[in-house]
Amino acid sequence: DDKLLTEPLSHPDFFSVKELFTLKDLFDARVHLGHKKGCRHRFMEPYIFGCRLDQDIIDLDQTMQHLQLALNFTAHVAYRGGIILFVTRRRQFCHLVESTARACGEYAHTRYWQGGLLTNARIQFGPGVRLPDLLVFLSTLNNVFEPHVAIRDAAKMNIPTVGVVDTNCNPCLITYPVPGNDDSPAAVELYCKLFRMTIIRAKDKRRQSEAIEELR
Amino acid sequence: MAATAGSRTHKIGSVFSRTRNLVRVGLLEKPPWLDVYAAFPPLREPVFRVPRPRYRSRDRVGAVLYREDTVRARFYKVYGNGPKPFELTRLNFKSTCQRFVEKYNELKEEGKIEEEKLFEETGKALLASGILLQRRGVDKVAQQGAGSRDPALQPQLQAVLEELQEKRKDGEEQPPELAGTHKEHPCPS
Repeated sequence: DDKLLTEPLSHPDFFSVKELFTLKDLFDARVHLGHKKGCRHRFMEPYIFGCRLDQDIIDLDQTMQHLQLALNFTAHVAYRGGIILFVTRRRQFCHLVESTARACGEYAHTRYWQGGLLTNARIQFGPGVRLPDLLVFLSTLNNVFEPHVAIRDAAKMNIPTVGVVDTNCNPCLITYPVPGNDDSPAAVELYCKLFRMTIIRAKDKRRQSEAIEELR
Repeated sequence: MAATAGSRTHKIGSVFSRTRNLVRVGLLEKPPWLDVYAAFPPLREPVFRVPRPRYRSRDRVGAVLYREDTVRARFYKVYGNGPKPFELTRLNFKSTCQRFVEKYNELKEEGKIEEEKLFEETGKALLASGILLQRRGVDKVAQQGAGSRDPALQPQLQAVLEELQEKRKDGEEQPPELAGTHKEHPCPS
């Protein structure tokens, strides 16, 4: 059991996450398009390539690195049987995110986030509740363009987060931010596809490794 | 049930540092993601930072400009939006402006045409290949104004203006008593 858990950590890319996407895929899905100059968040400045006619363009080379790290982390967490919760407050994509979560066998929360969902879980759900091991944000803002409460709550409950941060978002508290567009349907579909493929791949690999170990 | 200690101080340190310290002390059981984070840390440790606004500092994000932008700006100024609308659904779409820029660069590289005439020559070349470019109309008000003003009227208008100015000066030279009497008569002027 120990060997099962430690062996994947020695490979830099055990789940070959890099082959799932290319720079051209990101560009075609319009991941590099940010908001206007006035909406820019101060902490997103290092991730922005430049400003073309007042519209921010996100640096896709950096996005590639961040996305690779984020997908690798989700894959490892899924391999170890962790619970993953997809969170987004974009009504346009709530159905897509819920169906992605159902396809992976994981969970999604795309409705109004009640105050004590993570911080007051023992009382709201019962004494023996298990909190998610990873939160994946397809959009870190809520309906009034403020940071989602779940980011702060996950940081409080010591739960790591992976999130797509646009040019108007605050990437500070997110463990593995992925600078990219969170408004275009093409971009969000790409992210959902990538997360679904990594989680399914990781779970399949876990089943394979367990089967091999049982045979021995 | 595992030992459930926690540290809800999200503004101090990062998730990793707090969990690692709690595990080392023995208050918390090791969560599955701790080893993964230790093996593959993110590029920036997720520490809380207060988002203060910038005061009077230069823009850290530079503008994205290309050499062809001068040609593009001139194209849009002269020809307006161009005859063909942008089809953004196609990935390899080339707009009229882009074709113009490419033709311009081709002709520039050939080097046979002078710099000043390059713009017009590109227009003619595109016309030859079948793209009709319509010059953007000048503002209608300016057109009407330019049309109505006769060149013969100009000196006449100037003469009338000079007469008016002389009359005003004569009016000022009158004694101030008259100015006082003028005030007593509240006539709307």
